[in-house]
Amino acid sequence: MVKNKGIFIAAAIITVMLFISIYSFNLFLNTQRERVVIERMEEVLDEYQELQALSLMSDVFGKEMTCLSLKSRLAHMDKTLWDTGIKIDKYREVTEKFITDPFYLNQKRKFNRNEIVYFLMLQNMKQWCQFNQTTILYFYQKKEDCPDCDAQSFVLTDLNKEIDPEIAIFSFDSNLELPSIQTLELFYDVASYPCIVVENSTYCGLHNKNDLISILCDHNKNISIC
Amino acid sequence: MNLSYTILVYIVWFLSTYFIVVFLLTLIKNKSKLYNSPDLDKNNRLPKVSIVISAYNEQGKISDTIESLKSIDYPKELYEMIIVNDGSKDKTRDIIARYEDKKNIIFIDNKKNKGKAACLNQGIAIAKGAYVACMDADSVVPKNILKKTVPYFDDKDIGAVTVSVEVKHVNNFLQKIIQLEYILGLSLFLKVFSYLNCIHVTPGPFSIYRKDLVDKIGGFDVNNITEDLEIAYRIHKSGYRIANCMDTSVKTITPDNFKSLYRQRRRWYTGALKTLWQHKDILLRKKTGFFGYFIPFNYSLIIFGLGLFLLSLYLSFSNIIKNLSLYSLTNYNFFSNLSWDFDVLRISIFAIFGIFGIVGTIILVTFGLDITKNHSKKRVSIYFGYFLLFFLYQFFWLSSFFLVLFKRKVRW
Repeated sequence: MVKNKGIFIAAAIITVMLFISIYSFNLFLNTQRERVVIERMEEVLDEYQELQALSLMSDVFGKEMTCLSLKSRLAHMDKTLWDTGIKIDKYREVTEKFITDPFYLNQKRKFNRNEIVYFLMLQNMKQWCQFNQTTILYFYQKKEDCPDCDAQSFVLTDLNKEIDPEIAIFSFDSNLELPSIQTLELFYDVASYPCIVVENSTYCGLHNKNDLISILCDHNKNISIC
Repeated sequence: MNLSYTILVYIVWFLSTYFIVVFLLTLIKNKSKLYNSPDLDKNNRLPKVSIVISAYNEQGKISDTIESLKSIDYPKELYEMIIVNDGSKDKTRDIIARYEDKKNIIFIDNKKNKGKAACLNQGIAIAKGAYVACMDADSVVPKNILKKTVPYFDDKDIGAVTVSVEVKHVNNFLQKIIQLEYILGLSLFLKVFSYLNCIHVTPGPFSIYRKDLVDKIGGFDVNNITEDLEIAYRIHKSGYRIANCMDTSVKTITPDNFKSLYRQRRRWYTGALKTLWQHKDILLRKKTGFFGYFIPFNYSLIIFGLGLFLLSLYLSFSNIIKNLSLYSLTNYNFFSNLSWDFDVLRISIFAIFGIFGIVGTIILVTFGLDITKNHSKKRVSIYFGYFLLFFLYQFFWLSSFFLVLFKRKVRW
């Protein structure tokens, strides 16, 4: 055993070094994930500022002038928001319990605030420009508190892919305890999770695709899947 | 991620990586002398050797075995064959009887089946050689087998010598992957283990022992179904080392279907577990050298690996169930959630560990095949076969743990 002591020690050092390399690589991936999330959030912010500019322009140049541009920007914004939300959740899954978790929580808060601003803006636009887009507010909690929330997100993702430009989904993480989200929940009478609000009507509990289609069609018969 | 899963991944990763690194470093250090074997005595004084074979229902193979032994390059007066018929129900007895000459070939005919270990002990008891080789009745050896192995005993610390084990007939995919397993597991691994003094088995197809040592330790354990493994423990306990000679080999018959492979492995692994329990006093004891540490290390890797495999299986299965229940909510619209945009940033640390394990295994297999001069062109199928074997191992071990824990009897 003494003869091979060198091999055992060298192997232990190499094994630890390999572990450190993998761990460092994972840390590198974490920074890259953070970078991507920040970039996406900046994109959302840029979009939001563009919408704000268009909104202000409509005050000066008239609503007809800007409605067309607003409509295309809003559709784009809707997709960016949804994709960013999914990306944040997916990245959080692979970095779960790791040191960067506070970062994702922070980004999630920013993201949810942006969503509320965008939602309010969309409500105004719908009045000014007669947009026919149906809005869905989706309130959820983490898996431990809400076992059905993952399933509801899954159904909404499926639906969003099918009729993306026709609906705008805003998802709000109730665990973040943002005062703005709490106000929305109070206003829409969100009593349990998951809960969705379609055009001011609240539907709590898990809804499958058929239920959701029927709810959507009750509110807007012009949606292509109705 | 599940905490127990996380802990298991880290433990298995550390144990397996450490094992692979120790193996590769030892291999690199001794690369140039893997096929070297000690020279014969300068005065060409050769010792007498006895070869003991236990045969049970081997009518189709025993002739080849005897013929290969008859043509060994060793003075006829210096080696004897002791063939024990273990109460065969076929024509094995008649075939052996034809070869019997009372001098070079001695025939012991047991009317009742006693078991392999008992038959080998019977043969060893009358053996006149200073060294005794034990061999399976379905195996064949090359001419140089004794001249290559006997010189190892010039080192007084060597108690037994093993040789490379090769597959005699490769007729289907299963035998191809068993061949790969033998090339690595029963040839190269044993050679590398010999440098670390931790050979844990003296393979039944052919191994040669110091006769006085075998007498001293009381021969093979008749109550053990893996007598070739059990005796290795007692050789280590006696303070002797086990050497491996890659310069010669024995060719043996292997299972040609999954059912017989399962039966064979079930016997090997339950025997291994029972032997471990039987010799638990060697664990972590300095007196058996590295062997006392290697065995618990090896079994820890097996147990934790099996735990990780089962947990992964459970998580994958529950994931499938969960996904199916999710898809039931969207009328089984499987295509809606399919995404073709590969995002490298969604790879978790566990996936990196997994990729690393696969790459490590491929390096090990490639390096092993190159060193053992097996330049097969069908490398992809070999790697695939090796991973298939890995999955099969888990089922074999699981079944063996079950049989041992519930004290079920395993026969040959």
